[in-house]
Amino acid sequence: MEVLKTEELTKIYGKEQNKVTALDNANLVVKQGEFAAIVGTSGSGKSTLLHMLGGLDRPTSGKVYVENKDIFSLKDEALTIFRRRKIGFVFQSFNLVPTLNVYENIVFPIQLDGNNVDEKFVGEVIDILGLSDMQSRLPNQLSGGQQQRVAIARALAAKPAIVLADEPTGNLDSKTSQDVLSLLKVTGQKFGQTIVMITHNEAIAQMADRIIRIEDGHIVKGGEPNE
Amino acid sequence: MMFGDKKVLARLDKMLEDGINGTFEESDYDETQLSKLESKWLRYLTSSKMSAQKTEQERQKLKELVSDISHQTKTPLSNILLYTQLLQEQPLDEQSLVLADEIRAQAEKLEFLIQSLVKTSRLETGTFQLAPSENNVDDIINSALEQIALKAESKHIRLVYIRENYMAKFDSKWTQEAIFNILDNAVKYSPEQSTVTVIVQIFEMFACISVEDSGIGIAEDELPHIFGRFYRGQNVREQSGVGIGLYLSRQIVEGQGGYIVAESGIGKGSVFKIFLPR
Repeated sequence: MEVLKTEELTKIYGKEQNKVTALDNANLVVKQGEFAAIVGTSGSGKSTLLHMLGGLDRPTSGKVYVENKDIFSLKDEALTIFRRRKIGFVFQSFNLVPTLNVYENIVFPIQLDGNNVDEKFVGEVIDILGLSDMQSRLPNQLSGGQQQRVAIARALAAKPAIVLADEPTGNLDSKTSQDVLSLLKVTGQKFGQTIVMITHNEAIAQMADRIIRIEDGHIVKGGEPNE
Repeated sequence: MMFGDKKVLARLDKMLEDGINGTFEESDYDETQLSKLESKWLRYLTSSKMSAQKTEQERQKLKELVSDISHQTKTPLSNILLYTQLLQEQPLDEQSLVLADEIRAQAEKLEFLIQSLVKTSRLETGTFQLAPSENNVDDIINSALEQIALKAESKHIRLVYIRENYMAKFDSKWTQEAIFNILDNAVKYSPEQSTVTVIVQIFEMFACISVEDSGIGIAEDELPHIFGRFYRGQNVREQSGVGIGLYLSRQIVEGQGGYIVAESGIGKGSVFKIFLPR
């Protein structure tokens, strides 16, 4: 089943002679439960692509379907709500709320959406991410790796259609990075969570089930799922 | 009835009907209770349809089939092996001896295949339960290395293991089998006189056992498929094998909350990494 699909996705910045085509007719499909990595150098268009996939920015032309919904047919307010419900973001910079403890950070997006917390599921997520003993700690009492584990838990807790991870280990040392990637991998396996990870790092990309390569705004390899 | 109730009920009815027909789609995203309900409904349909119905049916069928095959082939297969051995003891001319050897080799391969299939099937269906507990990775690596030593020696392959005493949570018996399968591949696909290296690394959440060889390597396009059942690489046709070892290894490792990854390239050798939770 397709969770994410783009059709001729194009983003052009600037006008006339200052025109820069950041993304050029990009087509890709991600299936339910896949762990896909989008790899490209800086300036390849991968960040632009991520922003489109997450509904953070609108394309110049082309479409993004999430669970068969054409997301850019939505008005801005609808798109914001869509994002909150359907996309779990994991950023390089963790983005935890400093005044909320670990548990509160994890369930924050669920409560923001006015939903009841699925305690059993959230408990499982906290357990597998090794956060059981630090639920009442504040983010500044945690290491970088632990903060990123909280961010992953937060992304998973709302059971989104897709977890979008943007350079999730960009601020971590290599040893801690390995743990964070391992956790993305095993949580994906365990919960059947679809994960799309953006990275410039070839070694990190190897962790994924599939590598989507982007160069100069073109998807050059891996746009279609492994059969 | 309150104003608007009728409209809501009609919409709910349509949602259910579309859900049953598999054509449900969310109408819009706004802050109303109905819009939230739509979201939840789609989530429910997606997850329940995917997991419950499909996997259950397929697993049940597979379980029955594999159990039938393994049970029904056991006796005839043992008999083939027995008669082949008897045949090999007869005074045979050279050509017939070659043929008898080949029959035996193929029968043994078939026996191995069926045993592996039974194991994967029983793991998948939960007939065998993995029982992870706190164990030393050194113990299972040593046992697996002992198991492969003879085969490595016959190809003059050096086994290097940098010993570490790290604890992790795993089922010793099954995990040893997973490591053995990886080692078996490493030895099988490495040239004579080469080296296979086992390295253990420790992380905050995981322990990693790497098996590194200098074999023929695996093309990038093939890497995603190698853990699939019965998958055989394009370059390994001349080697005997049935394509079940890696699949079984993955079943074992993932069943305990770990995972396996492979890094490779044609002519670059391969590194298989088994991550086990701590």
